[in-house]
Amino acid sequence: MTPEYLSRFGGILIFILGGIAFVLLVVGIARMIRPNRPDENKLSPYECGEDPVGNVWTNFNVRFYLVALLFLLFEVELVLLFPWAVLFSDAESLATFGTSWIWISITEITLFLGMLIAGLAYAWRKGYLAWVKPDPKPETIEPVVPGALYEEINRQYERKK
Amino acid sequence: MENLFSNTLDGYLFLASLLFAIGVLGILIRRNIIIIFMCVELMLSAVNLLLTAFSVHHNDPNGQVFVFFIMAVAAAEITIGLAILVMIYRNTGSVSIDSLKKLKW
Amino acid sequence: MEQIIFIILSVLAVVGALAVIFSSNAVYSVLFLVLTFFAIAGHFILLNAQFLAIVNIIVYAGAIMVLFLFVIMLLNLNKDSEAPTPALARIAGAIAAGLLMVTIVGAFKGLSQGSDVALRGGEIGTVSRLGQVLFSDFLLPFEISSVLFLSAMIGAVMLGKKNLKDS
Repeated sequence: MTPEYLSRFGGILIFILGGIAFVLLVVGIARMIRPNRPDENKLSPYECGEDPVGNVWTNFNVRFYLVALLFLLFEVELVLLFPWAVLFSDAESLATFGTSWIWISITEITLFLGMLIAGLAYAWRKGYLAWVKPDPKPETIEPVVPGALYEEINRQYERKK
Repeated sequence: MENLFSNTLDGYLFLASLLFAIGVLGILIRRNIIIIFMCVELMLSAVNLLLTAFSVHHNDPNGQVFVFFIMAVAAAEITIGLAILVMIYRNTGSVSIDSLKKLKW
Repeated sequence: MEQIIFIILSVLAVVGALAVIFSSNAVYSVLFLVLTFFAIAGHFILLNAQFLAIVNIIVYAGAIMVLFLFVIMLLNLNKDSEAPTPALARIAGAIAAGLLMVTIVGAFKGLSQGSDVALRGGEIGTVSRLGQVLFSDFLLPFEISSVLFLSAMIGAVMLGKKNLKDS
């Protein structure tokens, strides 16, 4: 005996299984009918003559780190707000709660969002969300030709004029 | 006993305690802080599963709301925890919990 | 049918969890934990907690695991650099965890709740039902969780900025 809700999700399950089966089927048919003659060039990751350099698993840039941390908090905040949005868009459930609930919940959500926005504003104001720029040092070049020589030449040409 | 392997309350109790025990095992035998962190998440997940099973069993949505709050707390915990972990790595150069032995007196 | 799905999902969850703690590469651990979370989301669907299933995938598999993977890649920890745990500690840990499980299962067995977790009517796992409870009985915890988020945000920013500076 399968409950009704499960048979609705059964469609999704069949879809997933169908997707897996389709991929396996296509790859399997391709494997069966293709000639199998590997050589070194065919087995390389890029078949365009590019030799891959280094490892795929490289260091991520530290610049994304703070943004990633804040993203997690805002994602959970979104998940907490979602039921409210669903309730609020549904006139039937609004009617069961009554008008006072509408204003209470709006105040509540405003406070909730205000807290998070305060946190974000704090981070922003302090410049923590700014993109960490590389700090280029201006190169100072010691000229081989002394500056006095240039000035001498300039003076000579000025006299000619 | 046959209930342990079916979707009855006993089955969920067994599965959740198994997942919880695997999480405890991971915390006890691994030295890598990230893996220990993941084991904590696993244990939280096992508790979530059990809360949901009991909530469905008693037909009471409060249990599922608790799961919500557990997820919210887990997210906050992960944010701070990973920030601390990166600091530990910057200071000691490793993510082994043995590098924090000095916290013992 | 339900029982078969339950067994498949349980095996996936347990195998994923075991692979998390026994794989030597942290990246593989993260990926196996994602598998476990997907299996648990499947369990939520089986329990008709539809919204929790989606939230589980979005928050745990989507955000938390990505953050873990991000930190592993940030610190370049994908090499196996972990010092092995002494054998005695391993055995002691295994015994302790096994005893804990036996204790928990034994305690639950004493409850002798063998009844089927079939739904007793009513869709309690839908978004609107959960929202009704969340915004009537749990208004204060909901509000307090925003303070938790605020403190977590400030903490993450303070700790994270120090990391940024000396890199």
